[in-house]
This record gives sequence, structure tokens and C-alpha cells, in this order.
Amino acid sequence: MKRQTLALFSAALFATASASTQAQSAYVVGVTAAMTGPAAGTYAPVIDALKAYIDHVNGRGGVNGRPIQLVIADDQGEPSRAAANAKKLLNQDRVVLLINSSLSSTYAPVVADSKRAGVPLLFAGSACPKETYPPADPLQFCSTAFGATFDSRAALDFIKSQAKEPVRLGLAAMAIPLSRGEIDFAEGLSRQVGMTPVDKQITPPPTPDYTPFATKLKDANPNWVWAWSPWISQVRTFEAMRRLGWNGQYVAWAHLNAEEDLARIKDPGLFVIGSNAFFSDDLPIHAEIRAVTHRANLKHPVSFLAEGFVAGLVIETAMKGAAQPTAQAVTASMNNLKVDLKGLRGGPLEWTKDNHFRTRQYYRVWRWDASAGAARRVQDWVAVDVKQ
Amino acid sequence: MQTAVNIAVLASIYALIACGYVIVYRTSRVLSLAHGELMMLGAFGLWVTIAMFDGVPLAAALAALLLAAVVGVVVYAALMRRMTGQAVLAAVLATIALGILLRGLAVLIWGPTERHPLAALGWDNPVFELPAGARISAIDASLVGAAILCYAGLFAFLRFSPWGIRMRAAGQSPLLAAQRGISLHVIYALAWALATLTGGTAGMLLALNTALDQTMVVIGLKAFPAALVGGLDSLAGAMLGALIIATAEVLVIQFVSPLLADVVPFIVLLAMLIVRPWGLFGTREELDRV
Amino acid sequence: MPQPHESGYFRTDYADDWRLLQTRGQRGAALAGLALACIFPFVASPFLLDLANQVLIAVVGAVALMLLTGYAGQVSLGHAGLMAAGAFTTGILARETGAPFWIALPASGVAGALIGFLFGLPSLRLRGLYLAVSTLALHFIVIHAGQEYETRRGLSSGVVIDPPSLFGAELIDPRLWYGTLFVCAGATVLFALNLLRSRTGRAWRALHGREPVAEALGIPVAGAKVSAFVIASTLTAMSGSLFAYYRGFVSSEAFSLFLTIQYVAMIIIGGMGSILGAVLGAAFVTLFPYLIEMALSKLPGGDAMSSLVFAVNYAAFGLVMILFLLFEPQGLVGIWQRVRNWFLLWPFRQRPLK
Repeated sequence: MKRQTLALFSAALFATASASTQAQSAYVVGVTAAMTGPAAGTYAPVIDALKAYIDHVNGRGGVNGRPIQLVIADDQGEPSRAAANAKKLLNQDRVVLLINSSLSSTYAPVVADSKRAGVPLLFAGSACPKETYPPADPLQFCSTAFGATFDSRAALDFIKSQAKEPVRLGLAAMAIPLSRGEIDFAEGLSRQVGMTPVDKQITPPPTPDYTPFATKLKDANPNWVWAWSPWISQVRTFEAMRRLGWNGQYVAWAHLNAEEDLARIKDPGLFVIGSNAFFSDDLPIHAEIRAVTHRANLKHPVSFLAEGFVAGLVIETAMKGAAQPTAQAVTASMNNLKVDLKGLRGGPLEWTKDNHFRTRQYYRVWRWDASAGAARRVQDWVAVDVKQ
Repeated sequence: MQTAVNIAVLASIYALIACGYVIVYRTSRVLSLAHGELMMLGAFGLWVTIAMFDGVPLAAALAALLLAAVVGVVVYAALMRRMTGQAVLAAVLATIALGILLRGLAVLIWGPTERHPLAALGWDNPVFELPAGARISAIDASLVGAAILCYAGLFAFLRFSPWGIRMRAAGQSPLLAAQRGISLHVIYALAWALATLTGGTAGMLLALNTALDQTMVVIGLKAFPAALVGGLDSLAGAMLGALIIATAEVLVIQFVSPLLADVVPFIVLLAMLIVRPWGLFGTREELDRV
Repeated sequence: MPQPHESGYFRTDYADDWRLLQTRGQRGAALAGLALACIFPFVASPFLLDLANQVLIAVVGAVALMLLTGYAGQVSLGHAGLMAAGAFTTGILARETGAPFWIALPASGVAGALIGFLFGLPSLRLRGLYLAVSTLALHFIVIHAGQEYETRRGLSSGVVIDPPSLFGAELIDPRLWYGTLFVCAGATVLFALNLLRSRTGRAWRALHGREPVAEALGIPVAGAKVSAFVIASTLTAMSGSLFAYYRGFVSSEAFSLFLTIQYVAMIIIGGMGSILGAVLGAAFVTLFPYLIEMALSKLPGGDAMSSLVFAVNYAAFGLVMILFLLFEPQGLVGIWQRVRNWFLLWPFRQRPLK
């Protein structure tokens, strides 16, 4: 009797011990994101899609036999909360990879904390900081589709290829430093490529009426306008200009809302340039995204979810290359990464030790085709090498 | 000319929102800082009625207006009624807290994604040509029309109808009005209903114009200086204040720098507070009655 | 006739009158509290230490606002603007001139005093709601100035500040921070308690009670109002500076109207007119979101709600504030006093009628 209880007891102890070691061997990934708050519309879909994909991967048995454990902390777009989240994720949850999907004002504290802990930091869905471009900071990585300076270059190249007459370029930004910086850069670049920048409008974030700003922009009489800012500012400036009777062509960055809004606005003069494929392409990966997110019961429109899936594929591949669930192994794996995105972008996403943005950036341009009643591709994948 | 049109539209937006502040303050001496959120709630109400009255847009619009008025009565009955008699600051803080609660509930119920009621209603937004090359869209024109209608209606109501006169009496002297047999609770509930009605109209039109999301709340705060500049207890003042603020904002955008657009209303407000704190048409005693 | 007993609390000289801790019970409680506070950093997890640090920074700001609004009766909705002023001064000094901690902190205080003077000028003409609105307008203007600085200097993610060094040691470890912040918060509370017992404090209380009567009594009302604003703003700006150092950066988004409302909630939930209320309110409002998150995670289906946490936080915060305003106008201090009286009177329920 005594021996039986002793055997049972030690068996139970052994079971719990092995169970706890099992749990410890998961890849713990921390996320600090603007899940709610005014900026949530841009970042919450990314993280929701990411979570759905990671759950799907775990359902298939995980990576290297281990599950990926996602710990999501909401920072509401506020830097102090992001700092607190970073501290908690790094010190308490002991994550081996930290993800930031929030406003650029949250970057500084998260970067500082992850640097101190020696944990790699991935920007997914949030703007890529300069430190991910070559020569890259050892611990900062970025999988987000848009990237400063390269986007403007690609957009101006596109405008140049399409313009049938000398280009009078209007520029639109939002009153946040990132957008303003990019549009300032675009202004200088436009002069170099022979365009005339006629006006630059900077709109403050939530405005009841974009018409006064659009009036100023329209009065300068541009025939092309390039806008690089959060989707709201881009599209409402465009709509206001159209209402004022402007007939030119407008190029904007294809954020998450682009596919849906092209169908809503139905204006052939609105071009969107982006790095993520549209869901209307109906590739096998798009069907997979639909299935996974339907199972997860996500409330967002499906076309918003490509960015989150890209992040999910990147993380899955990164973890596959990390034999041990440690920060060093993950960093080493990410320093030499090639992710097959299955058509979500123009090609694979490749990271090297010096380049944590990607070795090649691909761009497509779409516009609304009224006769076809659908969005049509105006320019197929153009590859741009990302060098120093 | 386009500038004048822009000013008119912006002034109408501010005026519609400001008259809500004024009605509540004039009647019950409470500054409702939840007005931006109530505006947003009115717009979400439209979204709800669109789903309810699928295919009959006009019914949806009317039902939304009715819903907005009912919300005002509920806000009064559930919260503000208990704050009457307490310190004014406490009542203001209660409205701030209410605004926070409503914002949280809105995200919980409807989520953070942007919505497009105009597309959902199946309506179009055509543009009209005006003399001198100016253009105005249909919804912008209806904003101006709604503002004029609301103010004309409120003036007539307060001046000629029995309930309007009772409301003015309650605003001037609650004690005497109560002794005269006027039910103060009903008057205050009516004031809140009118405020949420006009605010909700503004919210709905704004949502139809651009889109429905959480950022609308900030616009409510920007309209607040319009009410103060004109005088917190004067409707005519609210209209004039809205015009002044809108003019300042559009002219600054046009000729100085678009980045100051957010801060111009508050600079004008500050200037007014320094020079004439009770506003253009406000009554002077308001200053000390806090 | 029963003999009267000695209470044991005799005042033998004037110094005894001035002591903050007068009875043995008060001294014992203070010592016990101090001992707990000293043990805390050695047993708490880094997460709890971070929470404690946040509470301590909030205490400084809450005490300042309590002095201004709770005691002097000057309604101010510009609190976040003042904190931003202090934080940005620290950021600008640290970045442009590399000034060390012991220069930047007082400099932020001075900046706060100057801007507080500006905030206080309208109080000479306005009262109540209009004063609140003028401070609100000034808040937006200060934030706008901060944004302009950020943009003109090309700092898209705010101004990064190096950890301060105090007596040669760099303040990175949360325990060192805890010690420093505890000293700062303690100094602020002591300063406030003593200020309230002084002439200035009494002038403020008279001002709050009945302004014309105060004037009739010969108290310089304008000077008292301005002094209230200046002193409170200095403390607030220093709290903003500490906040900037603790977070390691400054960014204008952190100083929104919601921050002001949080501080106002702190003094209301804590209980207006009491320094203890400021401390309790600061602790409550700072810890509240984390409590809600913990509660949500314990609920079944809490995982699905993780993306809704902020919305629940927001809604719950508004609801709690409304409940306190409606049912508990004296705040946490009121609750504490009721609890304390229950113990004091036990086994009696209420004081006997005479």
C-alpha cells in the first residue's frame, strides 16, 4: 500500500515536472500594440491576424515540436504604457522576441528596454525605423510593408512613367513627424527627377473638414499628388479635392483599408501603391487566410489581414531556424532569414545581418477600373534593391 | 469664394455642436463636456438604425434622430438628475466621466474600425457649382441647412411655444419657476434631449460626409470655444462664436500655416477670456454664479 | 465621581504643538509604514516595482493638484500641460545642453513656476468653470508648442533622455528608482502638509471658503491665487520631469486631456481636501487598469477579451468616477474615515445622543 502510494506520488511528480518543462520550452513572443485607442484601426487587425495564424500553427503542432506562445499587451498608442508593457514582457514573461505594432512615439522606450535585455525587437504593421535599414541595428527588425524613402522613390518613379506631360506635383502629409519627414524628402527628390513640386499640405490628425486644406492644395493646380500618411488623411484629402472640382491623379500608399476603399470610392484617378497583394488576386494563401481568420471569428474585413499574416509567416520561419527558445538563437535565425510569403508580397522577405528591412522591396500599383467594376493592377511587381 | 464656402461649412459644424452646449448650460447651468461623445453616439445610432431599417434610408434617418433625443432623456434621468444641487464642478466632472464611459462602450460594442454610413445608406454625395467657381457638396450644403434650421427652430421654440417659455424661465430662475409649477426635471430632460438631438444631427452629417469612427469626439471639443466665445447662455452668441472661430481657423489655414488649425480655436478662446470672459452675448452675472 | 485618567499625551513645550506625528499610535503607524516601504523593493517582482514607481510619480502630481483645487479651490484642467512643460524642459535641456539631473529637475520646476504664473493670471478675473476652461485652452497651447519642438527638431519618436545619475550611480535599476521616487514623494507630502499649516495654506483655505470674506479679513487674494498656481505648477512640472526621466523619453502624445482627467479623478476619488486623499487616489487610479486586466484575465473567455481591455478600462474608469461622484463624494478618505470610526466606536454603532 505504501509502495503504491509512493509510486503514484512519484509518477505524479514526474508528470508535473515534465509538464512544466514542456511549458517552459515554448517560444514566448511578446507583443505591445495599440489594440484599442484612437490608433487601433491600423494596428489591431495586424495583431488579431497574427494571433489567428499563430494559433493555427500551434494547432498543427507548433514549430520544432514547440508551441509559440503569444503574450499580447495593449498600449493604446501611448508611450508610457508601451514602456510598462515592454518592461513586463521582458522581465516577467521573459520573451525571446518582442513585437511592436503601435505608433512611432512608442518606439524609443521599447527599443531602449529590448536593447538592455538583449531581446530582438520586430516592428510588424508599424512604420519601419531607420535603424532597420542597412547598416542595421543588431536587435531591430521590420516586416511592415511600407518603408520611408523607398516608397517615395517608387511612387515618383511610377508617376514619371505614367505622366504624359510635365508633372506639377502636389504633396500631402499628416502633421506627424514621420509623414512630414517623408513628404519633405519626396519634395526634394521630385526636383531631382525633373518634377515641379507646387504645394505641400500638412493636415492635423482629426479634422472635421479637410476642405480648407484641400482648397489650398487644389489652388496650386497640381496634376499629380503624392500622399504618404495614415490612410484617413490620404483618402479624405483626396475626397475633399475631388469635391472641389480637382481632376488630377492622386497616388497614395496602400494601407490596410486600400482594397476596400477603392471599391467604395470608385474613382479611376486614385492610384494606390503598395507592397502587399490584393485579396482579389485570390491566391491559395488568400484562401488560407480566409479560412484561418474565419475559424478565429475575427471582426475585421479580410482585406485588412495580409500584414498580420506576413508577420505570422516571418515569426514562424524565424522560430524554425532557432533550435533553442532563447533570444540569442532567435536573433541569429533572424539575421539570416528567408521567408516564403507565398505571393502575399512580390517575392520572399530576406534579412541579413546588415539589412533588417528586406533585401528587396516590391511595389505594385492599383486603380479602380470603372468598366470592369473592380480594382485593376496598373503596374506589376517592381523590385527595388535595398542597399546602403 | 471657396474660402467663404469653407468658412460657412465649418461654422455650421461648430454651430450645430455649440448649440448643444448652450442649451444645457442655459437651462441647468451645467457644462456638458460629454457632448463630443454624445455626438459620436448619435452617429452610431444612425448606423444602428440603418441596420434596422434596411432599404428605407429615410426611416433610418428619422429613427436615428428620435433615438438621439431619447438618449438625451436617458442621460438626464440616469445621471444628471442626481447631480442637480451638487457643486457645479462635480456635475461637470460627472459629464466628463460619462463621456469616458460612452467612449469605452462605443469601442466595446462597435469596435475600432471605420464605418461608412453613406455607402451603407446607398446615398450619393453630388457636388454643386456655385457662382465664382466655388463648389459645395450636397452633405456640406445640408450641414449649413441643418444649422440654420436648428437655430431657427430653437429660436421659435424658445420664443413662442409654451414649453420654450418655461425653459427660459427655468434657466433664468429655477426657484421661481419651480414655485410657479414648472416641473424642473421635465425641463432639464427636454434640454438634454434637444442638445443630443442637435449634436447627434451634427455627428450623423459628419459621419455621412467622411466616415464614422472614434476621432469625431475631438471635434466636439474644438467646437467648445465657439460656445464660450459667444457666451455660454446665448444661442445667438453660439452662432456668432462659431462663425468667428471658423473664420479664424480657415483664414489661418489659408494664409498662415495649416499646422495651427488645431490650436486656433483655443487661442481665440483665451483671448476672449482675457478681454471679455462672459462672451459676446453672455450675461455678466454668469461669471460669479459658480 | 470616578478619577480622570492621564491620557499620556501631554504637551510640555511649543515644539510639541508643531509636530506632525503627535500620538504614540501615529508614530507607530508611521514607523510601520516606513518599514514596509523599505522592505517592499526587496520582495516585490520587477512588475510590481514598476507599478509602485508609477504610483510614486503620480503622488507628486496628485498632491500638487490637491493643493491647487482641493485646498485653494482653483479649478485647473491644465494639469497635463504643466507636466508636459516640465517634461519638455527636461528633455530639451538634456538633449540640447546635456544638463545633468540636478540641474534639469530644478530648471523644470522653474519652468513650471513661470508657466504656472501664466496659467494663474486668468484666475484673477475668472472663477469656477471659466477658470477651468482658460486652463484647458492653455493646456492645448502648451501641447502644441511641444509638438512643434518635436517636429522642428526631427524627433519623430520623441526626445530620448539618458538615465539620470545621482551621486555617481546611474538610475536604471527599478529599486534605485523606487528609493529616489519614495524620497521625492515623501518630501512632497511633507512639504504639502507643512505648507498647509503655514500662513499660505491658511490663506488658501480662506480663499476656498469665501473669497469676499477672505478679502475682508485682509488676506491678499490675488497673491494667494497666484501663489497657489505657482507652487502647484512647480510641483507638477517636477513630477513631469521625474516622469520623463523614469520613462527615458518625452513625447507630446503622453500628455493628453485624458491625463488631466486622470489626475482630477485622483483627487476626487481620493477625497477633496485631504493629502491622504491625494495619495490614495493616486494609488487607486494608477493601479486601476491593471486590476481590470487581472480581473478580465480571470474571467472565462478572457483570452478573447484581451483586445478589448482598453475599452473596458475606459468604460470602467468612467463608471467608477461616476459612482464616486454620485455615492461617495468624500472619496476614499471618506470610506477610510467610516471604517476607522467603526473601529473606534466598536462595540457601539454610532455616537450616543446626548
